[in-house]
Amino acid sequence: MIDLRTLSRRGFLNMSAVGAASLMLPAGLARQALAATPLPAMAEEDAVIGFGHVGPISDEGWTWSHHQGLLAVKEAYPKLKKILEVENIPYSADATRTYRQFVSEGANLIFDTSSNGDFLHEVVKRATDVAFLECNGHITMDNLGWYYLAHWYPTYVLGVAAGHLSKTGKLGYVASFPVASVYASTNAFLMGARTVNPQATLQTIVINSWFDPQAATQAGTALIDNGCDFLFGIMDEAGYLQVAEKRGVWAAMWNTDIRRYGPNSYVSSVIIDFKKFYVDQVAKRLAGTWTPSETLLAMGAGVDRDAWGEKVPADVGKAADAVRDKIIAGWSPFEGEIKDATGTVRVAAGQKMTELELYNWDWSVEGVSGLTT
Amino acid sequence: MAAFRVQRIPSASSGVAFAARAAAILLALAVAGLVLAATGADPLDLGFQVISASFSSSFGLEDLALLVTPLILTGLSVAVAQQIGAWNIGAEGQFYAGAFGAAVVGLFVPGPPAVILPAMFAAGLLGGALWILIPTLARAYANVNELITTLLLNFVAILLVFYVSTSVWRDRAANSATPRMSAEIPEFWGSVHWGLPIAVLVAVLVGLCLAFSRWGYEVRLVGSNPSAAKYAGIPVRRHLIAVMLLSGAIAGLAGMLEVAGTVHRLQGGISNNYGYLGIMVAVLARSSAIGVIFSAALMAFILNSGIILQTQGLTTSAVLAITGLILFLTAIGDELAHYRITRDAA
Repeated sequence: MIDLRTLSRRGFLNMSAVGAASLMLPAGLARQALAATPLPAMAEEDAVIGFGHVGPISDEGWTWSHHQGLLAVKEAYPKLKKILEVENIPYSADATRTYRQFVSEGANLIFDTSSNGDFLHEVVKRATDVAFLECNGHITMDNLGWYYLAHWYPTYVLGVAAGHLSKTGKLGYVASFPVASVYASTNAFLMGARTVNPQATLQTIVINSWFDPQAATQAGTALIDNGCDFLFGIMDEAGYLQVAEKRGVWAAMWNTDIRRYGPNSYVSSVIIDFKKFYVDQVAKRLAGTWTPSETLLAMGAGVDRDAWGEKVPADVGKAADAVRDKIIAGWSPFEGEIKDATGTVRVAAGQKMTELELYNWDWSVEGVSGLTT
Repeated sequence: MAAFRVQRIPSASSGVAFAARAAAILLALAVAGLVLAATGADPLDLGFQVISASFSSSFGLEDLALLVTPLILTGLSVAVAQQIGAWNIGAEGQFYAGAFGAAVVGLFVPGPPAVILPAMFAAGLLGGALWILIPTLARAYANVNELITTLLLNFVAILLVFYVSTSVWRDRAANSATPRMSAEIPEFWGSVHWGLPIAVLVAVLVGLCLAFSRWGYEVRLVGSNPSAAKYAGIPVRRHLIAVMLLSGAIAGLAGMLEVAGTVHRLQGGISNNYGYLGIMVAVLARSSAIGVIFSAALMAFILNSGIILQTQGLTTSAVLAITGLILFLTAIGDELAHYRITRDAA
């Protein structure tokens, strides 16, 4: 039995090539990725690598983590001709301009660390000799792959902890946009919490941004005012953690260990690490073996929960970690029966959601409010 | 003994105005260069990078052309309203309303592009005009300051577009945007579409009307002295309403061209602040409709340089500071060009 969670999508594709796992991934996706001819090998001294970010490196969260990946690339390949890096790229035609500029400056491999969709693909189509990787992207082309994290597993673990810690059973969520990663995150979190407290609910506020500390702070305040005593979210920074600390409620975060912004409230984080992935991709590009891949970094290999917060009771951490161990051993919590927010059964009893279904999740489970289903 | 006096002249000669502007830009670049040199960067090399990336590659020129298109129209929108003495701070909202109107047609009306594109064009104009309708009537009949009303409606339009594109019209496969619209404005050079010639044409037409038609004359008269215009029997209110609606429609057209030519989906953030930048474009053009084409080009170059400088390792804040410095000194230079120093006869 192949364990999807400890296997990169890339490795997966290689296996499907030998016919081992072809049943588990839509065939079209795998073939598309394999059809591309690798771009030619090149010397380290001639290579230009580009990184485009949605927020500032100083966010201590999402963009900072990708910047650590850049630093790892720099350390592994100190002789690279140039590493280009641009922060604060808006989700608009300006993104197209920025990535075009990367191409103009001779970039050979470009990482879009926050999915820019069409704005990126516009450049991908016109620069066929440049390799592109889109974080949280959803399509591949001959020179475009995507990568993301199986964040729903550590999120489920955090949900279990939330189920133990929340007294009211009302959980709050600060969301960016109603996109798949937010559905997967909210759903996994509440499903984890409901294993402890079946009455738990999750109220979501969408703030139309990945990085807007002010809006995230306001959303956090509103959620607490509504009776939530545990905040979670998918922000690039620590805004709502500070609110939670001030108001004396629990909070779980994303990206990095930022407990110093709320040492009493901090429960844990969905910790991310792209270093190995970035170094590997650069290695492949230089060696001439790069082809567009679809990678979901697995729990324990790029995404995990952080060490438990100082105030989290030891037995709560233990209970959640028991679930984490089960997942690492191969168990998936995303098994039917699962109902959506309108009460309709979406996953029948005994049926297991595939990794791609989890990645493309676009409906809310029962108990989540604030997102359209 | 001869005394020196500073004298204001109503309209600067074009030579002096040009010299003042050139001096301002050079001064801004010099200051920016000194600051960059102080932080260890090589300003000459950066300047060379900016020039060569902007003008020596087709990518650079395409970017400029795509950027200048909405800026001409939002700048024109603000400039036209200025001609009659109104401040349209709402070009941003009207841009969204135009984009929204165009998207309604593009998403829900089936048909060949030859039919759909003109319909989107009309819907864009209509959306922009409708969005400024309330501030216009409030100004015309109740003398409510349009500066506040147009500004506040921006937030409504922005959030409305965010709402529909992330919920009811959301494409589940896309990143918080509507599905792609099939009717696309054709491209004539690289990724540059026919929106650019249309924008230039609209600016020229509006400029000609303002300069040479009786309507244009009356509008300018109302703008420079409403009381005099009223006593001369000019229908001030009618002209005010027409010009403000035109201003909104032009900004709406900018939104339509961005949707149908560049982005092809409706989404939050689509305006890229073009509406607000239009205010600066209009100020730099001293509200001249033809001048808007050139100030929009300058603005596009500055914005694009910002992107180039960021790939060269400058932070966004440094780039913003340089951009602001150039605009600030240009505005001062423009004003100073209207003064001369004279010497009294002994």
